[in-house]
Formats: sequence, C-alpha cells, structure tokens
Amino acid sequence: MNKWQVLLVKEIKHLFRDTKTIVQTVVLPTFITPLLIGLIFWYVADVATEESKKTYNVSIYSPSSSVLIDELEKSDRLAITNENSVNSVIEAVTDDNSEIGLVFDEGFADDLISNTSAQLTIYSKDIDTFSQAQSLVIDIVDDYEENIRDKRLELLNIDENYVNPISINEENLTTEAESAGSIFGAILALFFVMYVMTGSMYPAIDLGAGEKERGTMETLISTNISSVDIIIGKMLSVTSSAILTATFSMLGFAIPLVVIFLFYADSINEYFFGLLSAIVNPVALLGVFVLIIPLSVFMGAFLLAISVYAKTPKEAGLLLGNVLIVFIVPCYVPLINPGLELDFVGALIPCYNLALITNNLIAGTVDWFLYSVALISTIVYCCVAIYITYIMFDDENVIFRS
Amino acid sequence: MIEVKNLSKQFKAPTEEKGLFGPKKKPFWAVKDLNFQIKKGSVASILGPNGCGKTTTLRMIAAMLTPSRGTAFVDSVDVRKDKQVVKSKIGYMTNNTSLYDRLSVIETIKFFAELNQISADIYMPRAEKLIEQLDMKKYLNKRVADLSTGMKQKTSIVRTLIHDPDLIVLDEPTTGVDVTGQSVIIDLIKSIKDSGKTLIFSTHQLNEVRDIADHIIVMKAGEKIFDGDNSQFQELDSNKNFTEIFMELVSE
Ligand SMILES: Nc1ncnc2c1ncn2[C@@H]1O[C@H](COP(=O)(O)OP(=O)(O)OP(=O)(O)O)[C@@H](O)[C@H]1O
Ligand SMILES: [Mg+2]
Repeated sequence: MNKWQVLLVKEIKHLFRDTKTIVQTVVLPTFITPLLIGLIFWYVADVATEESKKTYNVSIYSPSSSVLIDELEKSDRLAITNENSVNSVIEAVTDDNSEIGLVFDEGFADDLISNTSAQLTIYSKDIDTFSQAQSLVIDIVDDYEENIRDKRLELLNIDENYVNPISINEENLTTEAESAGSIFGAILALFFVMYVMTGSMYPAIDLGAGEKERGTMETLISTNISSVDIIIGKMLSVTSSAILTATFSMLGFAIPLVVIFLFYADSINEYFFGLLSAIVNPVALLGVFVLIIPLSVFMGAFLLAISVYAKTPKEAGLLLGNVLIVFIVPCYVPLINPGLELDFVGALIPCYNLALITNNLIAGTVDWFLYSVALISTIVYCCVAIYITYIMFDDENVIFRS
Repeated sequence: MIEVKNLSKQFKAPTEEKGLFGPKKKPFWAVKDLNFQIKKGSVASILGPNGCGKTTTLRMIAAMLTPSRGTAFVDSVDVRKDKQVVKSKIGYMTNNTSLYDRLSVIETIKFFAELNQISADIYMPRAEKLIEQLDMKKYLNKRVADLSTGMKQKTSIVRTLIHDPDLIVLDEPTTGVDVTGQSVIIDLIKSIKDSGKTLIFSTHQLNEVRDIADHIIVMKAGEKIFDGDNSQFQELDSNKNFTEIFMELVSE
C-alpha cells in the first residue's frame, strides 16, 4: 500500500468505529428516508380525503331572493349564512369564518328576467391548495347559468352549437414517467444532497478540525507523508462516507418501493403504480448515481478544506452549517417550481442541475448533452475544491492556526 | 548532525488594538537568529520559560514549519529544501500524547510503520523489542482511548521510533506523566543514546536535563542565551545547584 492508501484505511477504520458515523451514514438514511417519504404521502393522501368530506361555510349577501341561493343551499357540503351587508361578507372571508363569500348584485334577479347579464362577486382566499370550496360553489353557479342559457337559446330557437363555435377536447399526453419525474425528481435530489452533506459533514469535521484539536494533525504532519497523500487519503475517507450515505439513502428509497411492488401491487391504484414503476428504472438510478459521485467528492473536498481551516470542531460545525444552506437552496428551487427546464447555465449550477436531471432521468426526457455539461462541470468544481484543500493542507498557517 | 544557522521564525500576534475582524495583528519574532550545532550521537536539551520558542524551534528542525529566515540542516539536508527527506530521518513526538483514540496500541504502531513504508518483517521485530522494553504486552489490543496517560506516552514513543529514525525530537516528553512514567522515558532516552542516535528534547524538568543531557541550549524570548555542554552549564556558578543556575540565567 502506498501512503495515501495507508491513511485512507486508517481513517475509515477510525471513522466507522464511531457509532455516530454509522448512525449518520447507514441508519438514518436507510430508515429515515422511507419514513419521511411515507409520512409525506400519508399526509397528502389524508388531507385530500379529509378535504373531500369537509363542509365549507359560505357567506351570502343578496338584496333580493334568488333561485341560485336555493340551489347552493341544497348542497350538503355548503353551509350558507346570510349576511346583511357586503362588508360583513368580506369580513367573514377575511377573518376565515367563511371559505367563500358571495355578493349578489342589487338587480340580480331582475337582470336574469330581462335576459341581460347579472353580476355575482365571489370572495375567497387561495392559500389552501387542497380546498374544494371554490370549485364546489362555481360548479353550482355554472350549472345554474347553463340552465338559464339553455332556456334563453330555446326561446330564440338557436342550437347550442351556434354559440359554441369551438368545442375543445383536452387530451393530456403527460406520461406516467413524466409525472413521476416532476413529483419525485426534485424530492429525490434534495434527499441525496442532504444525505451526501450530512454523510460527509461529520467525517470532514473529525478529519480536519477534530484532528487539529486533538493534536494528531501535528503528528501526521511530522511524518514524511506529503500534503498530496494526506488530502487524497482524507478526502477519499470523507467521500466514501458520503457515497455510503447516498447509497443507503438510495436503498432506503428503493427497498420500500420494491416491497410495494412485490407484495402490495394489487392494493395500489394504477396511476400510482405507474409513477412507482417509472422511478424503479435502472438507467435513471444509475444516471443519478454517476452524477452524485463527483458531487460527493466535490463536497467532501470542500467541507474538508473548510474544516481544516477552522480552529475547532465547533467553529467548523458553524461554518459547515452555512455551507449546507448554500448547497440545499439550489436543490430546493426546482422543488417549488415544478416544470422548470434545465438549460446550459442551469446545468453548470451544482445541486440545481442534479435536481432537474434526476427529474428528467425519471421522466425519460434527459438531454444527454446537458447531462455531460453537468457531469463535466461538477468534475471541474471537484478539481478546484481539491486544489483549495491542497493549499489548505500545505499552508502551515492553516495547519497550526489556533 | 544538526546545524542551525540564523534560524528565525516570525508569527503574527494579536494586539490590544481592535481591527475590522477582531484584534489587529502585529508580527513578532518567536525565534530569532538561532545558531547552534548538535553532534551526532549526543542528547541535547532545549530549555527556557513558556513561550520562549522551544516548540517552534523543534518544529522548524523537523521541517514542519518553514523558517522565516535562516535554516537548519539535518544530516546535511536543508529543512527548507527537502522536507520529506528530513521528515523521514526524524521521529517527532508532540507534547500532548496525540494518538488516534479508536485505534488499538498495535494498530497505531502498524499505522505509523506502514506510513513510513516499512514492511512487517522489519517493523515487527523492532516493535516487539520496544514493547518488551516498555512492558506494554498486556494492553497491545486495547483502544488508545482506554489507556492511562503513561500507557499513551509509551505508545507514542514506540510509534515515534518505529521507523528507526536517526534523529529523535521529543517536545516535553515527560509533561503530564507520573514518576514511574518519567523514569521509563528517561531510561528510554538513555538507551537511545547508547544506540548512537541523536536526540533533542525540550523540557521544563531540570533534573532530567542534569542527569541525561550532553548538550544544553537555553532560550529566552526567542533567542539563545546559553549553548554548551552539561559540565560547562554547571560550571557557570559552582556554588549553585542546577536549578539555581537556570533561574539566574533566565532572570538576567
Ligand atoms: N502558529 C503560531 N501562530 C502564531 N503564534 C505562534 C504560533 N506558534 C507559536 N506561536 C507563538 O510563538 C511563541 C513561541 O511559542 P512556542 O510554542 O515555540 O513556545 P514554547 O517555548 O514551546 O513554550 P511552552 O514552554 O509553553 O511549550 C509564543 O508566543 C506563541 O504564542
Ligand atoms: Mg512548547
């Protein structure tokens, strides 16, 4: 074995004899990932079913009576309250006492009788994405309107198609793979980046600032191992831990899916089954993995450079916490902007490119040119980070900084 | 063996004045224009009050710190030029027994041997001899974290000597070690001396110096204030004992 290999073996042995490392790299990613994802699904499904049973409050102000109000009252999912002014309707919605406020114009009924357009104002807040209040109300209003329109056309003896010159047929060609990509791509990437970070963070602190504090760095420097051998050995230790974490988080994600496939395939609905089979796609998983490796090395080197600069593990922890945010935010952007497309510049941004490429790989729409751009740029960052680490380890002011 | 020429090291020290990022820093000479020679096979001791530059001097000799001015030669090799060559000739032991907690004693020894690219058939007999000499057999497979300070100290010594260096540099080897531990180290220093190797150590334990050092260097505020052999030191004032002579030197 040459020197860096000796160091690598020692570092890994030393790291993995620490239970903290095992918990961080194996236990957490394997068990927490499926748990978290399961929780998210359960919550979303639960909220959706809850919402489909919920009764909504509707505040109405109408100067005169209207058949539409009777129609609304017939719905058992709407609880109607009659208010005596426009302001009290607005107030009810503003204060969240009612989900929907309806204000009928003064001449609502008369306008309908005289065959003109009657005014109806709907007040609501669109914060709760799961709420069905507005669609329930609008469906009833639409039905009512349709009814009146039919009567008016009949009166004039006009065919309905006459006022509907174009009838639109919507056909959604989004494949299951594409929906799976847009739903899971960003979440998966976020998980991977988080695990690579947390998987490399503790080793990086331990092998940099930790060794400085314990004084073993001085001993290591006193032996005839070169800075290059030291950083290769140490960086690979940090990276192995990161890759191990990424692998276990991947397993933590894949194993529950495989279990669902094998044993519960009958009990999940077809759409969901399609989504899942799109994710369990060897090309996608491999493609993501190939990108994660240089990303892990990049992060490992970067974190190690910061850690060795820090005076104490405490300072290192603080600095690395901030770096964590810098890496997580680019992963987060595609998550909150579904439908974002990867372009050349985007492919150069670490983590951001991973999120969108994961998305595309699952969807089966990956642009291999942009994939190579992302891969090569990550490798370039990797080399830069390694160089910075090299400068750090070669600088006595950094090594003996205290 | 060791030739030190105008060896100097400048550091930046924080001052009272406040700058944009914490206190302002001002350069100062931690070691200044040091000149001395240590003969092959002798035991040299560097003495001096806290912060006088002992550790810095030893680190420069061991090619761990680059001198700001001047240089040192170990076996005629310039510490500025061939750091790795110098390091391979030296066994350096830091003043805190800094070892890897989660390695066992034997793993620690093997790690440092392999780091020096020595094959097992060479380092194992060497290790066995040292283990025997230091009476370490019972805890070879214990983790370093579970050892007493004295046991750690012995482990440090073995790992320092495992590549059979020509020059052994010990920075305060007996600090924090109990009386028996100290005598073990002293005995070891004597046996290293008998094997014809050169040894340089810093210490605050003056009785050790009196008993084992051939050559004494006293430093104060980065500068050399005495350089001579043991008898010359004691002859500085024949009415005073070793400690009194040292106190007088340093307080001047
Ligand atoms: N890396 C460094 N950066 C800045 N100043 C330093 C550095 N290392 C040492 N010093 C300063 O240089 C001076 C000499 O330090 P050194 O450690 O060599 O003293 P010493 O004689 O070994 O002291 P002690 O007996 O306490 O071990 C001290 O003032 C110390 O604060
Ligand atoms: Mg010192």
